[in-house]
Amino acid sequence: MTALLWLAALPCLYWTQGIESAPALKKAAVERVCVPADQAEAWSKAAVTAVPLTDTDLGLRETVAAPGIRPRADRASATRSPWVFTNGSRFLRDPAGKFLYDLPAGKAALAAAEAYAYGADAVLKIDPADLESLGQMLAFLAALPKNELPDVADVAVVDDGSATMGEALNLLVRRNLLFKIVPAPSDKHRVSVMLGTPEYPADAAKDPSAFALKVRRQLTDEQRSLRIFGTEIVIGRLTGDGARVRLHLLNYGGRDTDGVRVRLRGTYPEGEARVAGSGKVSLEERGVVDGGTEFTVPRLGPYGVVDLPAVK
Amino acid sequence: MDRRDFVRLLAAVPLVPSLKAEAAPADGLPKLNVVTKYAPSATPGMPGPYPGRVIAVKSEKSVDVETSAANDEVVREMMARGMCALTGKKTALEAWRQFVVPADVVGIKVNCGGYPWCISAYEIVAEVVRQLGAAGVPPTQVYIYERFQNQLDECNYAARLPAGITVVAAETRNQRADNRGYDPATYVEADLFGEEDTRSNMMRLVSQKLTKIINVPNMKDHGATGATGCLKNIAYGSFSNVARTHYRGKSHTYSFVGTLASVEPLRSRTVLQIMDGLRGVWHGGPFARTRKYVFYPKQILFGTDPVAIDRLLLDIIDDERKRHGAISIYDRSPQYLKIDDGRARDADPNVNIIIREPGHVEFAAGLGLGVADKARIKVQDVVV
Repeated sequence: MTALLWLAALPCLYWTQGIESAPALKKAAVERVCVPADQAEAWSKAAVTAVPLTDTDLGLRETVAAPGIRPRADRASATRSPWVFTNGSRFLRDPAGKFLYDLPAGKAALAAAEAYAYGADAVLKIDPADLESLGQMLAFLAALPKNELPDVADVAVVDDGSATMGEALNLLVRRNLLFKIVPAPSDKHRVSVMLGTPEYPADAAKDPSAFALKVRRQLTDEQRSLRIFGTEIVIGRLTGDGARVRLHLLNYGGRDTDGVRVRLRGTYPEGEARVAGSGKVSLEERGVVDGGTEFTVPRLGPYGVVDLPAVK
Repeated sequence: MDRRDFVRLLAAVPLVPSLKAEAAPADGLPKLNVVTKYAPSATPGMPGPYPGRVIAVKSEKSVDVETSAANDEVVREMMARGMCALTGKKTALEAWRQFVVPADVVGIKVNCGGYPWCISAYEIVAEVVRQLGAAGVPPTQVYIYERFQNQLDECNYAARLPAGITVVAAETRNQRADNRGYDPATYVEADLFGEEDTRSNMMRLVSQKLTKIINVPNMKDHGATGATGCLKNIAYGSFSNVARTHYRGKSHTYSFVGTLASVEPLRSRTVLQIMDGLRGVWHGGPFARTRKYVFYPKQILFGTDPVAIDRLLLDIIDDERKRHGAISIYDRSPQYLKIDDGRARDADPNVNIIIREPGHVEFAAGLGLGVADKARIKVQDVVV
């Protein structure tokens, strides 16, 4: 992939300010923006790659949620896991889709990382106050070693296209239950789910949380390809091809999390992590326990990736 | 302890150092997997050398109930008398030398949850530090610890202690963003309510640094466990991700508290229990943001058996509740249950937000942590 094409694979900042704002973009290390079509010509003179986007183009994009969390203060006990707003299931459900984030302040970097982690074609409308943090994230993403691998999935799901199933898939993502959408039940995965079957009746996904728990219990925690400990607001996307794996880690909490413990099913040799805001970091306290490889990412900002070679 | 007691106790203690034990779920109890590489010591600190034995030192002069201030001199006297009575030694120094040697790195597990009205008393903590020093343990080898730094900051023990002592927590505050203070290889794994993070990890301080731990809990009511004393303070105060055991009115503290306390090396290294009963909380615990439910037992309990002390505590809390016309900590009836309604609980002592599990004390006895049978608990009263 050429550098230009790779740049194009990154989420695109939708920028409506005039060309006089080009120095601010450069200063923030934003090298490519999507601009209103009628401003494209003016931007062609700037040292920033400008992609024209018509109002129609923009309007056709599916608007997705601002990623983050909402604490559940109504729970008196501390089993009050915050509600995580993630768009992962929407991206996995529609890999060819085109998406639009319309973001409040403080969300741009995480949104860019989220879109990147799922390979989504996404345009970001941001609060200008986020320009610097977005620029840093885009620079981080652009510098990551290229590593496009297929999803690792434990669960095959036949997607009936319903809103109910959409929310059920959202819960699977939020619970780090790795799934692949398949056209028909598959025995290539540890668990296969199709609504309307004896195991998963038509109303099985009405309560998405209960649905996700049922899938989890059927799969069992021991058989899960990915577990994350020490937090319930970090969501992983695991990709791999037998020769290597890449784990994307998205931290939706809005603050750094120290000591994110990861367990990957199988045995992997030493790997390395790259964490936004920290760069290359060593994985700590690695060990192989009961058929799984465990390690700690010492500190995780909004996003990080872990690359591991497979055992030869 | 007679021979029969000793044999019974041995039967309750796992004889094989189980490095990865699975407590088989029974009667709806959750499956709890203990993962640790640490083996128990020859005589684990809990129940230690005095199973079933409790020294109750009482003094009317220990606290001024008007101001809630403790009398430092009286507390020191109570401490000395309690330690001597427990060990049979003539002096406090001899008594303390039974539990620590100069090479020890000693943790003092305080309880800050009841700030400002009912925390581990400064006077008791300071006396523990003083006696450790007398026994040859320098301040640089003493750690006052809790799970949350913001709670320790509120209490500010450091201002009342000699320089050189470390006051330390595993997490900045209760927001689950700091895990590096916990040992990733020592934990209890359990899926209690379908929560995603199924591990509760032991503090690194406990597993990797301390050689001895002195537990200084309070006498408090607790919405989930019925009462919080030795077991809960040392267990929930030394592990991460524990509040997940309560959810929508149900609590798994019945089996979780004792199981955590039994995990090595916590069990072996916790050698002394000093329950601060100068002040207490009879409802709304473990918090005490107001004096509304504060009472004054004016006593300190000493022992090495956390179960025996906690068994007495259950009665102390329940009796105080009865004195105020409140429902018993054993009351499980749904009519008093207002799930997760903290405001209602704070306003009315006849409201539970969780069905309490005072049976956690007996469960802990079954794990070999001590004696819960009151007929077998020998209490020696000392009046100062």
